[in-house]
Amino acid sequence: MTEVRDRGETTQGYAAPPRPDATLARPRFRASRGATPSCHGDVPGAAAPAGSPVVALVGAPNVGKSTLFNTLTGAKRTVGNWPGTTVEVGRGVWPTTRAAATCDCETCTCPRQAEPVTFTLVDLPGAYSLDPASPDEALTRELLVDVEPDELPDAVVVIADAAHLARSLYIVAQVRELGLPLVVALTMNDVARHRGIEIDTYALAEQIGAPVVAVDPRRRQGESNLAAAVLGVLDAERPAPRAVDLPGHDGSPCGAMCPLADCGLEDLELADERFEWIDGAVHAGTRDTGDARRVRSDLIDRFVTAPVLGPVIFLAVMWLVFQITTTVAAPLQDALDGIFTGPVSDGTRGVLAGVGLGGTPVEGFLVDGLVAGVGMLLTFVPLMALMFLLLALLEDSGYMARAAVVTDRMMRRIGLPGRAFLPLVVGFGCNVPAVAATRILPNARQRVLTALLVPFTSCSARLTVYVLLATTFYPRQAGTVVFAMYLVSILLVVAVGLLLKSTLWRTMGADPLVIDLPPYQLPTARLTLSVMWQRLKGFLRTASGIIVATVCVVWLLQSIPAVSGAGFGEVPVSDSVYAAVAKSIAPLLSPAGFGQWETVSALVVGFIAKEAVISSWAQTYAIAEPASEREPGQLGAQLHQTFEMASGGHTGAALAAFMVFLLAYTPCVATLSAQKREIGLRWTVFGVLLQLVVAWALAVATFQIGRMIW
Amino acid sequence: MTLTLDRAPIGEPLVFLEASTAPEVARRLAELGLRRGAHLTCVQRTSGRGRVVSVAGSRIAIDAATLVRLTVQPISALDELVRESA
Repeated sequence: MTEVRDRGETTQGYAAPPRPDATLARPRFRASRGATPSCHGDVPGAAAPAGSPVVALVGAPNVGKSTLFNTLTGAKRTVGNWPGTTVEVGRGVWPTTRAAATCDCETCTCPRQAEPVTFTLVDLPGAYSLDPASPDEALTRELLVDVEPDELPDAVVVIADAAHLARSLYIVAQVRELGLPLVVALTMNDVARHRGIEIDTYALAEQIGAPVVAVDPRRRQGESNLAAAVLGVLDAERPAPRAVDLPGHDGSPCGAMCPLADCGLEDLELADERFEWIDGAVHAGTRDTGDARRVRSDLIDRFVTAPVLGPVIFLAVMWLVFQITTTVAAPLQDALDGIFTGPVSDGTRGVLAGVGLGGTPVEGFLVDGLVAGVGMLLTFVPLMALMFLLLALLEDSGYMARAAVVTDRMMRRIGLPGRAFLPLVVGFGCNVPAVAATRILPNARQRVLTALLVPFTSCSARLTVYVLLATTFYPRQAGTVVFAMYLVSILLVVAVGLLLKSTLWRTMGADPLVIDLPPYQLPTARLTLSVMWQRLKGFLRTASGIIVATVCVVWLLQSIPAVSGAGFGEVPVSDSVYAAVAKSIAPLLSPAGFGQWETVSALVVGFIAKEAVISSWAQTYAIAEPASEREPGQLGAQLHQTFEMASGGHTGAALAAFMVFLLAYTPCVATLSAQKREIGLRWTVFGVLLQLVVAWALAVATFQIGRMIW
Repeated sequence: MTLTLDRAPIGEPLVFLEASTAPEVARRLAELGLRRGAHLTCVQRTSGRGRVVSVAGSRIAIDAATLVRLTVQPISALDELVRESA
């Protein structure tokens, strides 16, 4: 692993600013990296042939680095039109070609035919500068400044936003001071043109001292020019670090033209010099500053970020997402459910009967376990696809950055900056990447607090259980019930945040909110569908693996008798080890109105992953009554009966208590492993205890109050 | 006439004078274009008494606590000074 230098030590003349305190694993450019468990399905590091040049992609947040990375490598990193989407280093293989020579001179050594070339492309977290303000930005600095010379990338591509050029060039100025081969890739050229900004790439390149190439990764344009520019700087001599004329500066150890790395300027003087250099480059390379020309985005923001209307619109947008998700997906879910419980189950039974396994435990395992569990998961595919699609549309449009502004006030009350909203929003998709996304926060305490709050954001896996219960018990108000669960989730985040702030972190001050609002853009179908597919694939990959594994374990435990005199697979589920374990825990949950072993066992399975809750129910009920034929909706009828019995007739209150418990207790083991990595074992254990206590207390309160009403 | 950014009239062209914030916040503001001499305009109030500021074609949302630490001067006041001195 790369050694991090002590604070304040200089590397190549950079005065290292204090590094935000963090205990993150630091990947290297030339070493393979372990994959992170993620529901979002970010690709783990891919390998290029040994000796392939390493090209690093750097740039300010939200300029399209990950989109360009995905376009060049064919990888599928998470992308979004909001700052802080990338919090880890991504690696990929960029296969390209060296163009054939166009000259015909005899002594020329240029290739006669186009040659295939492969680069290792490394996508670094977004950073406005190499002076980090958060751990993800610190990672970028470490990999470009603090590493040993043989660990440096062979070339750096800085992605610059053509519509906000000045802001993108600070890091260009700093990379030029490192003396690394550099190419500047200009993105957002269409936005710049739309705003009347014309960029002269030649003049800009001359001023910067590095090639400037216009690219449009969203439409796959400019890739070959970028490859040619990278090959050009790799073939050329390593550029000299940017120098500055410092006549009369006392601290300068060298002559008239002094590399900034050695000139002995103070931090503020250095920054001023860089801003002057940037102003010169922008002046030479652009024909319009583009000031005050965002009429459409400003008009939308007048409503969307307004003091009162903004939060109302935010709630309405979220309600619409869940309403559309549940109502549009419902008929598709019913159709898929019919296929699995009908033809697929019947077909499997027929085949098993044909080979003499009908009525055996094997039939129970395959039909009531695997087919029912996997079938149940697949019925949720339309629903998840729709929700991921809608969230991807919101992200790509630029709305999420506004949502951070709107929620800033609420976040402040719980001692967190508005930026902490971003990982929490990610948590509504999947808690695992959300915990990793806490790295965008600069303060260690804020990261711990946010990572402890993430499990209370209702992830998409929990959504499947809400939908099943809501459509079973309240079919006409299913969308509203699900929306209510998300409201409870938000309230829970606020309440637990307030609780922790008023007990553990009384002295924690809130960081300021200073956030760039990107212009609204029409989401492109390719990008939106790609993001949706990646998340859906990630969900299915995680869920299917967990479901198959838990189905096997649950089947095994249900087959082992807890009573004497019976053989393996010969007892009803209620007499199995599975039921015995659940029955021993059940009394703890009786005050919450769902102390039946069938419900408790599903919660135990749900500790591993919420995706497995429904399949474990399907297994339990199908095996508990082997004599009856499964019909569509039978699981719902069984659940009705269980909740009614456990609650003494207060079904509504017990159901509400169960859903609150499901929302608040530990989301899954993958989230715990992500927490352990980010905030350590001690805080992770504290978090589990906190979740269990909060879940139990809230569920009991909900039932005890609810039984007076229902 | 100088004033803090939370008091600047919406839509009035301003010049940025000073950020009396923590150095890392001042640096981040400068990276985003809010540095001494930069021209800016407040374009929108947000919930929590924050504001959206237009600078160099960007829109930056800033919270209320930070706004009171940023000093600006209306361009109209600067023009008046120039006229007086002439």
